[in-house]
Amino acid sequence: MKIAVFIKQVPDTNDVKWTENNNIDRARMDSIINPVDKQAVEAALELKDNIGAYVCVISMGPDKAKSILKESIAMGCDDAVLLCSPKFAGSDTCATSRVLASFIKQKFSDVDLILFGQSAIDGETSQTGPSTAARLNLPCLSHVNKIESSNENTLKICTETEDTKCVYNAALPFVLCINNYIKPPRIPKINGYIKAHNYEIKSFNHTDLNLTDTQIGVKGSPTWVSKVFKIKEGRNGRIFEQSETEMFLEYVINTIEETVKINGK
Amino acid sequence: MENNNILIYTELTDEYGIKDVSLQLISKAFELKQKLNNSKIIACILGPDIDYSLIIRKLEELPVDDVIIASSSELSEYNYCYHPEVFTGIVKKYEPSIVLIGATVQGKEIASYCASKLETGLTADCTGLNITNEGCLLSTRPTFGGQLTADILCKTRPQMATVQENIFKIVPQPKHNVNIIYENIQTCCIENRLKKIFSEVKTSSSVDVTKADIIVAGGLGACKDNGFELIKKLAQKLNAAVAGSREAFEKGYITKSQQIGQTGKTVSPKIYIAIGISGANQHLTAIKNSGKIIAINKDVNAPIFEHSDIAIKGDLFEILPELINKIGN
Repeated sequence: MKIAVFIKQVPDTNDVKWTENNNIDRARMDSIINPVDKQAVEAALELKDNIGAYVCVISMGPDKAKSILKESIAMGCDDAVLLCSPKFAGSDTCATSRVLASFIKQKFSDVDLILFGQSAIDGETSQTGPSTAARLNLPCLSHVNKIESSNENTLKICTETEDTKCVYNAALPFVLCINNYIKPPRIPKINGYIKAHNYEIKSFNHTDLNLTDTQIGVKGSPTWVSKVFKIKEGRNGRIFEQSETEMFLEYVINTIEETVKINGK
Repeated sequence: MENNNILIYTELTDEYGIKDVSLQLISKAFELKQKLNNSKIIACILGPDIDYSLIIRKLEELPVDDVIIASSSELSEYNYCYHPEVFTGIVKKYEPSIVLIGATVQGKEIASYCASKLETGLTADCTGLNITNEGCLLSTRPTFGGQLTADILCKTRPQMATVQENIFKIVPQPKHNVNIIYENIQTCCIENRLKKIFSEVKTSSSVDVTKADIIVAGGLGACKDNGFELIKKLAQKLNAAVAGSREAFEKGYITKSQQIGQTGKTVSPKIYIAIGISGANQHLTAIKNSGKIIAINKDVNAPIFEHSDIAIKGDLFEILPELINKIGN
């Protein structure tokens, strides 16, 4: 079985660093594998362990994204590909899915299974997986938390959303978006790191994928950001110091009592 | 003349009612329509072969002009191999200027598929929609992990957006007649290789956070030691719902249905108590309609302070036990 796993490098938004002026301090923040993408890598490697599979991990991003590809090689992936071109910069989901789909069509057309993380913590759009599946005319399942092999051409797929659990028998090839995968991602072993150190990442740019300027980057993206701002509609309520705990508690309890009174309880 | 029609994917519930998020989008579309010329509101329903009279009656009380119904046995249960293609076929045929879709599991898949096939722009999980002076859709959404908000425009047509539940309100209209159109669109793009062999609706035991008067919510700051035990104890005393930020969900302290934020629930309780929540933009947007916001946070630079009515810069592990004690009296 041939598996493609798409991963994205994201800033660690769980550990946001702020400047004194309340701005994001990007320079001090780490870049990591998008957490659910790492779960997708684990899902692929688990299939490799259980039934044997070739796992290729792919990331579209700047040269810096090689670090997350190396980490995936260290975890046990067989190959790693960087889709990298200055012309890719500024791609929205429409343009991004175009790049990813053309990689599959032109360089990996015999793929059996394509995995994505459900959403990226920096964008949270949940669109890239289903958008790429649409361009490849492949079926797609979201919120997959478990994959089991039934036989050579069929997988048993478990999905779980907020309110529903489902199990599917799905015939390859197809696309899956992984979320809350049941097994935590493995930690690379020493020989994994050695393999990753010596591994040379394959790189493709827009011409390698036969993509023109108007299909990618800012030019190929239908959406554009007209303005970015911090929300400023603050309430500017009363702020207490820890030394004023007593007074704070009094305010809180009064507020709660008023609400309870309104409710007639 | 080019139309400025707004088409809304009108998603059905398991009991063949209309999902709230779709009703909310129809109401919002009416507001957008006032700023557009030559604009109609079209509700598009995909579903099984059933009697749609109850659903149509409901839509007659909302500002809908046309209802498009595509019904077939294939469409009785959502499937990526059918619904997105049928919906895309309808959008292609009626060429609306704007397409709005609830950011549900199927809504997101349908929107992504449709935008890809039509090579158009899609803005996901919007927290605001407006019309510019030029008559374009302006979608607002949190970005960069919710730390910032972005206004997004689209160069192509249709302009597509998905929106979470409870961002907008349902505004009923006087009953009127709607124009019903039945569509029959065949699918051929994707061979259905997905066979559902089991499905179970999860029953939730926790209080519904969207309906609670008081919510006690924990963030990253509470994700250690007995932080969430204290939160649960406080909630119990206040008869409140327990909720949390995305970090609290990711670390397993709450379930997805308790997650507040852009990708979780949007809430408007009478009192929202934010404990150890720094106040990422995507969280603030989801709680901004709350009556009173009370915050406890150690990080003096946390944005939550600007957005609170009562707040304390202090250690939750010291302050919460005192608060729990006081309420007991």
